[in-house]
Amino acid sequence: MRTLRVINYDACIGCYTCEEVCRFLHEDRAYIKLYDVYGGLRKPISCFHCYTAPCVYACPTGAMHKDRDGATVVDPRRCIGCTCCIAACPFGIPELTPLGYVTKCDLCSDLRKQGLDPGCVAMCPAKAISWGSMEKVVESIRKRFLAKIMAPTIESVRETG
Amino acid sequence: MRFGFLCKERGGARGRVAIVGAGPAGLAAAGYLACQGYEVDVYDKLPYPGGMMMFVIPSFRIPRDSIVEGVEDLEKRLSVKFVLKTKVFEGDDRHDEGDDFVERRVPLSKLVEEYDVVLITTGTWRSRSMGIEGENALGVVPALEYIYRWWLYEAKLTNEKPFIAKRVVVIGGGLAAIDAAEVALKRGAEEVFLVYRRTIREAPAGEYEIRRLVREGVNWIELAQPKRIVVENNVARGVEFVRMRLGEPDESGRPRPVPIPGSEFVIEADLVVPAIGEEPTPPMKSEVLGIKLDKRGRIVVDHEYRTGNEKVFAAGDVVTGPSMVGRATGSGLRAARAIDRFLRARLRTG
Repeated sequence: MRTLRVINYDACIGCYTCEEVCRFLHEDRAYIKLYDVYGGLRKPISCFHCYTAPCVYACPTGAMHKDRDGATVVDPRRCIGCTCCIAACPFGIPELTPLGYVTKCDLCSDLRKQGLDPGCVAMCPAKAISWGSMEKVVESIRKRFLAKIMAPTIESVRETG
Repeated sequence: MRFGFLCKERGGARGRVAIVGAGPAGLAAAGYLACQGYEVDVYDKLPYPGGMMMFVIPSFRIPRDSIVEGVEDLEKRLSVKFVLKTKVFEGDDRHDEGDDFVERRVPLSKLVEEYDVVLITTGTWRSRSMGIEGENALGVVPALEYIYRWWLYEAKLTNEKPFIAKRVVVIGGGLAAIDAAEVALKRGAEEVFLVYRRTIREAPAGEYEIRRLVREGVNWIELAQPKRIVVENNVARGVEFVRMRLGEPDESGRPRPVPIPGSEFVIEADLVVPAIGEEPTPPMKSEVLGIKLDKRGRIVVDHEYRTGNEKVFAAGDVVTGPSMVGRATGSGLRAARAIDRFLRARLRTG
């Protein structure tokens, strides 16, 4: 099933939970990382798992590929460390390890195999990271938007109640 | 926040672990250890788990249902037990913020005796004092307590109406100062002043948060340090500040603020909220049971989160000093993994 992970940057509080959980799960290497954008305004960035992923097309060995959930993942045994994927990615996501192969976010393959959610999704205190089927994720975004525009109306009813 | 995110069902590990402090570090560790299969009991002085995430950080930042869902999952699915309104402490008690709900006291040594391992994650529940005249007057309320009381009132955990004021002076440049100023503004203060001794560029909360509050209507005053609280009949009426200039860098690498003599000025206020930092609150006043504290009151641990007592580990802000939810979470997870290794090794060697 094709899945989506979407970060709600308005809800994100920049608390580093996603980054720390990711680092804990991946031998001290975080695949979702926060950066200071402006004076203490910190937001996380990670792989978008593009549908038409430039890194997958650029990879000459087939090491970079899509898995069953639509996650873009690297098979380190086939990776030759040519860094084509790094050049191809518009977002600067893949990284070359000192051992000469590329790594990146795999949406927590190990957890997903057990039917669990990726670590960043499960642990975000602000519920700012959603992941799941396309239908489920877009529905949650649409509902969030509706709740936002209807907030004053709901508030006025509550005040009279 | 699904603290038990690492498993569908509990594993087969055997042993009993007590966690003291149900904040992000303690709950993350509880989730990890319960997933391994350990029996986990979590002690906390507050009436509900979550620590600062539940009782201090404003709900517009962390939605409370996110914490409640994670806690209920720990309880129902992973059989984690919570022992609430219970303060674990060794020796003569010390009053910290958030102590109001304590109904039972348990000596730390009792837990060390009863459990295979104790993990201390008690955080930083004391506001640093300013050390100036008039600090103990009525109307001077530390940021932690100020925000916490509002939350208790709004969650209907108390009927006591919190401190309401027309003119509020918040002192400090960190996130607690930001949150206190925002709470004041949202709860009907007419004028809110946020006063910091360095400039916006050095403020730990960052330029973004401060500019956002200025846009909301907070008066930002930089390069001013409190000299004394102006007190009448034991009630705060304002704060006398002295203007500062930036000098040479200090130990923290930031320019040291230096007072400018004769530049004193007063801001009138009916509520003064010092927010100049929090201090660690370990369950002891000084070294006990082999657990050592450093000069700043933090518990000393090695790279495996072990204290000087073989059965006692520590993690989170009580080890690092005030940090962030994520940093505490990461620390709790790593400590839990170290505890798991320790208990498995002990089982092998008998």
